[in-house]
Amino acid sequence: MAPKSSQKSSVAVQKAEKSKTTSQITTLKLQPSTANTKRINPLTAFVNLSQERPSSTPSSTKAKGKQKAKQVEKQPSPNLEENGQLWVDLYEPQSEGELAVHVRKVENVRNWFREALEGGPSGKLRKYRRILVLTGPAGTAKSSTIRILSKELNFETLEWRNSMGYLYQDSLSTSRAPDDTMFTKFQLFLERASKCQSVFTSSTTISGNGSSPLSPPPRSTPTSSSNHRIILLEELPNILHSNTRSQFHDVIRSLLETNDPSPVPIVIVLSDSGIRGEAGDERLASGSWGRDQDGAVDIRTLLPKDVLQGPYVHEIRFNPIAPTLLKKALQALLNRHFGSKSPITGQMLDVVVDSANGDIRSAIMALQFASIRLKKNPKGGGPQVLVESITRREQSLVLFHLLGKVFYNKRKGDPPPPSALAKDIKKDQELDRRLEDPPELPPHLSEHNRKASRVDVNTIYADSPIDSSLFSLYIHQNYTQFCTNVDECDGIADWLSWADSSGGEAWHQINPYRFHLMALGTLHSLPTPVPRLSQKVYKPDFFENLNKEKEAREGVRDVRSWIIEQGSDSGWDLSAWTPKAIATELGGILRAQDVPSSKTLSPTQRIPLSHRTFSSLKFIHPRTEIRTLGREQLSEGDDGELYSDGATVLEEQQDMELWQGGKDEDMFSKAEVEWWKESDDIVDS
Amino acid sequence: MSLWVDLYRPRSLEDLHYHNELSNRLKSLASSGDFPHMLFYGPSGAGKKTRITCTLKQLFGSGVEKLKIDQRIFLSPSKRKLEINIVQSNFHIEITPSEAGNYDRVVIQELLKEIAQTQQVDLNAKQRFKVVVINEADSLSRDAQAALRRTMEKYMSNMRIILCANSTSRLIAPIKSRCLLMRVAAPDAEAMQAVMQHVSKRAGFDLPPDVATKIINDSGGNLRKAILCLEALKMQSPDLSGTLTIAKPDWETYCHKVADLIVSEQSPARVMEVRQKFYELLSHCIPPTVILKTVADRVVERVDEAIKADVMHWAAVYEVRMRMGSKKIYHLEAWVVKVMSLYKHFFYGMDLTGFD
Repeated sequence: MAPKSSQKSSVAVQKAEKSKTTSQITTLKLQPSTANTKRINPLTAFVNLSQERPSSTPSSTKAKGKQKAKQVEKQPSPNLEENGQLWVDLYEPQSEGELAVHVRKVENVRNWFREALEGGPSGKLRKYRRILVLTGPAGTAKSSTIRILSKELNFETLEWRNSMGYLYQDSLSTSRAPDDTMFTKFQLFLERASKCQSVFTSSTTISGNGSSPLSPPPRSTPTSSSNHRIILLEELPNILHSNTRSQFHDVIRSLLETNDPSPVPIVIVLSDSGIRGEAGDERLASGSWGRDQDGAVDIRTLLPKDVLQGPYVHEIRFNPIAPTLLKKALQALLNRHFGSKSPITGQMLDVVVDSANGDIRSAIMALQFASIRLKKNPKGGGPQVLVESITRREQSLVLFHLLGKVFYNKRKGDPPPPSALAKDIKKDQELDRRLEDPPELPPHLSEHNRKASRVDVNTIYADSPIDSSLFSLYIHQNYTQFCTNVDECDGIADWLSWADSSGGEAWHQINPYRFHLMALGTLHSLPTPVPRLSQKVYKPDFFENLNKEKEAREGVRDVRSWIIEQGSDSGWDLSAWTPKAIATELGGILRAQDVPSSKTLSPTQRIPLSHRTFSSLKFIHPRTEIRTLGREQLSEGDDGELYSDGATVLEEQQDMELWQGGKDEDMFSKAEVEWWKESDDIVDS
Repeated sequence: MSLWVDLYRPRSLEDLHYHNELSNRLKSLASSGDFPHMLFYGPSGAGKKTRITCTLKQLFGSGVEKLKIDQRIFLSPSKRKLEINIVQSNFHIEITPSEAGNYDRVVIQELLKEIAQTQQVDLNAKQRFKVVVINEADSLSRDAQAALRRTMEKYMSNMRIILCANSTSRLIAPIKSRCLLMRVAAPDAEAMQAVMQHVSKRAGFDLPPDVATKIINDSGGNLRKAILCLEALKMQSPDLSGTLTIAKPDWETYCHKVADLIVSEQSPARVMEVRQKFYELLSHCIPPTVILKTVADRVVERVDEAIKADVMHWAAVYEVRMRMGSKKIYHLEAWVVKVMSLYKHFFYGMDLTGFD
């Protein structure tokens, strides 16, 4: 690869000059200093680098892809502000104080950068701070945090962008074969960005001082100290394509393997994107689902497993922005924009904050649109109506709350819990007024009489972060705690069983109403009101057991192939041994063989030891004082997404033949000992 | 060292110990030159597979005993690779669809097509067709069965199919109607006694008849289980003297204890405990149907006459659902909860009308 890339870099230099114009279009330039006469930008031929923008053109103040796209799209609209700027860009936070992220989160990221660039307090952490992955929902200031920290800590960011425009330009303007794929370019970008230090430092100069509020003040990086660089990946190659993904993994691995004393840290910004769909149910349950078809990118598809578990990767997860922080930030923004006479009332601000779900970008957008509407038509309905009309955003329900809604089974007229806030009580009362009482049932059905439920199943279905299969698993794992007697359990268990068996064999025959049936069935069967005994919601044990079962199945297969092999040596056909017969009937023999005193057999004659996964089964009588309800508790921050990924991870682990809890930990600790060199003297990790 | 079950398995139709009429019939079928598709069915351990192998030998001679094990790779529709071991001779091939899991249709189709499209080239072969033996035919998915149905007609000229199943109820009617059905019933105690004595003679020791009777009583007509049990017993105490206790398999004792759990307490917390036990059983590859059956049998023994029928009724209901659904544990648990509820209501003498 190395000779090839050096060839290409020379081509690139030529091309860089030819493609000066194109770099304007996509706003990416590698430090175009006016003073610098030799414009050698080997990278701009391939990529867009998030470098200093010329501060004179306001339209290029943003290098960020998504926002840029919005900008281009919105600019012609006459409805926008006089200068056509979006508030999101106008009032981009300039300092940590303006950032609506929790201070500790920023501190975490800052520490990482410190360690990555200078090596932390002991100066030895640098080699382990290679990749930082910032994850979290969209609009939680992940990229802004990086930008602000880059100013504060004085490093420059090289950003990769997928730009299709270049492909075309290249094929026209150079003699190089146009079949150079996006990925090759990406690879070249990464290689160069992490290696060609000298090129960058020489071409990096101080740019003009344009610290107007419209553009972020340029990072004044003196040439001497500008060798702190990071690579920022916000756009990625199409890693959903399995080939591209494995290529991507290879590139990342090879980057990590290089023993550069001062590596360039890579920061990957990854917004969560969800998957929904019933088609996954069957595969999930049968345990044989490939990740390939699922259209979601997360850290586990992004990075190979070994890298992810290795010491080089750190993940910092951004949470949705807390309403208080969000409100403060929005208020500050309004104050800056309107001064004291803001047309946005406090009430409207509340609605915006409520509906934004912690997405600050969407909140600011909503505010801006609201202010435009107000300017054109000051008396356009109530604030509620107005804001709701512009912030129609799918509100997703956190899994924790979804399950809470179902399990607490609130019905009309339920007394509020003692801890409820006055606001919530009022909300409930308002809801109760709107709820219609169901008609009285005839006497023979009187046992099915219930008060109207406060839970709207259609709404929770629309907002559910998980599909019906996972939903049913969560219900299954937890329903017993919320029932007071067996009859209620019976109702729910029967519904679970019924919903699971409804529909046909193929994926397209799956009953589309499973979620509704399960939710309604559960609500109907649970007692009203559910006694509050500080129940805790647990994650399903299902997957863990599924994995154990798969392991045992492997054991059965091993034994079966052993039997068949023994037979084929003697010329007998023994494939009549069914797995079932092996699992249920062979136990006695296997145990007898397992006795160490039995005569020693040659290794080929010995029954494979993996039979123990299925042959021995010890009954432990449940002790009444320890009632296990589940292994892992669900917390408020968890979303279904994360968990279903957990299942995949387990599956992957199983592929790698490390599956069981205990075994797993052993592997980890051993591996860790190997990875962390003792001389490192790590203070914190 | 093969197991005794395999070591002393009869190799030809003449060697079979019981069901002599069936053996004669098979012999005449094999020599008639008009061999049909066949479906052998009967309880496990009754000797279905032994009879199939013997029939094959009758058909093709000792050539069928020259076996080779191939590892074949199939591609599932989603480009997943399936590695499957296939046992075959020059004259026949065996498939165990459960190895292919969800993709049995692909495997069946590929294999059958391949066999059907190749002519028998061995001029010395006794028959012009090859035989495909499908073990556990009742675990074939609907898709696979439908695929089979067409192939059975189309390639009749150079292929015969022998299916082996525990019960015909899970096979679709078109397949049943295309096959000659052969029922292999479980051997009676006398026949089993004879076989056990035969095995012990071949293995070179004397089997006291009372030990054999004990084993036979315990095995419930499953000859394989009986012989395995005998071998295990012989391994544990080589002289077969003293008081011999025939240990039940772990999972069976486990199931019985689960049944005891169900009967002894009926509460939501107990449901959780039983669930853990079920998970444990499932993760030891005990088929859910077997679990349900064993536990239900035991529960029925322990409960009052009045609700026995209901317990079994619901076991049947949830067994059907289990087949249709995908998450076995739901149905096992739903049955447990139903039984608990029934039991509790019976206990408190409450009215059960309208309780469905």
